[in-house]
Amino acid sequence: MSVYQLNRCVYDWVRAGEVNSVAGDGRVDFDSSAYELTDEERAAFEARDVAGLYQMGLHQVLVNRFCRAAGFARDDYRKLLEPFGHAEERKGRWQR
Amino acid sequence: MAEIALAYCASHAPMMSSARMAAPQAQRDNFFGALTHVREAAVARGVEACVVLSNEHFTNFFLENFPQICIGLGEKNWGPTEEWLPIDKVWIPGHPGLGNHIAEYTLAAGFDPAFSHQLELDHGIMTVYYEFDPDMRLPLVPIVQNCAVQPLMPLRRAYAFGTALGAAIRAYPGLQKVALIGAGGLSHFIGNPRVGDVEEGFDRWFLDRLERGEIEEILAMPDSEVELAGNGTHEIRSWLAVAGAMAPLNATKLAYEPVQPWITGMGVAVWETEDKETVR
Repeated sequence: MSVYQLNRCVYDWVRAGEVNSVAGDGRVDFDSSAYELTDEERAAFEARDVAGLYQMGLHQVLVNRFCRAAGFARDDYRKLLEPFGHAEERKGRWQR
Repeated sequence: MAEIALAYCASHAPMMSSARMAAPQAQRDNFFGALTHVREAAVARGVEACVVLSNEHFTNFFLENFPQICIGLGEKNWGPTEEWLPIDKVWIPGHPGLGNHIAEYTLAAGFDPAFSHQLELDHGIMTVYYEFDPDMRLPLVPIVQNCAVQPLMPLRRAYAFGTALGAAIRAYPGLQKVALIGAGGLSHFIGNPRVGDVEEGFDRWFLDRLERGEIEEILAMPDSEVELAGNGTHEIRSWLAVAGAMAPLNATKLAYEPVQPWITGMGVAVWETEDKETVR
């Protein structure tokens, strides 16, 4: 029900599969029902819908970590996100 | 008192370990050649411990509590956490004496760093530390910075923290030779439609300013401008902290390569403490 819950869910899923100092349960039996997600958020998480998660406000560091953990190659996930990009008109001082 | 016997910064990218050979050979040779140079310099100078600044990638902290700076005080820290990163998962020795001293000194200097007695170290620190000491036995004081979650510590504040950090290390009586390392940047985009882009113009501008000592031009940038060079580019805070610690020395660029397969501008610069020609 909040973007925090979505971020927390993805964060816990990513971390569950990592090699931490204390062994965890892994990602296989990860249960997203403990998180207060909307039906749309839960569906996007379960379907590994990268574009949907990005649009719903998943932090971009977590988008990156989610994609790697879920097996998306960088070029593949870029293609999924490219439709949401926009032309940048501002310039940095190194471009002037 | 301790001497900062070696100070350098290096970009980190997990692919420098996990997809090392994906980079063109000339780029690999240049980047890793620079890291070999600093590793050999550390051995030659008798470095006893290192302090490594890098950024938090949601490995230790999450949105409930996200410190701008966290100093590792523990006897050991674990890493790397990424299951796919081809570096042995081990306990890395810490240095509680130096870590506590840095925390106390920077608190007294007006900063409010968090502290941790056990950190999980991800690729941010581990890729660079591994190249520095492949045996992973050199005592390491990790300092984790927020470079990803708004609101961020301003660039100027990161530089000022570095100034206090440098003074803290130099005031530590328990060691003779300490290496100070910044690990992060340079330009890169992650988790958004521009993932894979490298803003080479920014990277060369940034390195040039560090070499000339024109820090003010960098510190004047708001985050919204840094963001134009990539959401990962906020990691230059680690470089600015080292620059603050080493002022008035200027940096000397050892290598820069825009490595597309690693999606990052990969730079190495040293603040050469033994070559007085670089002093302003």
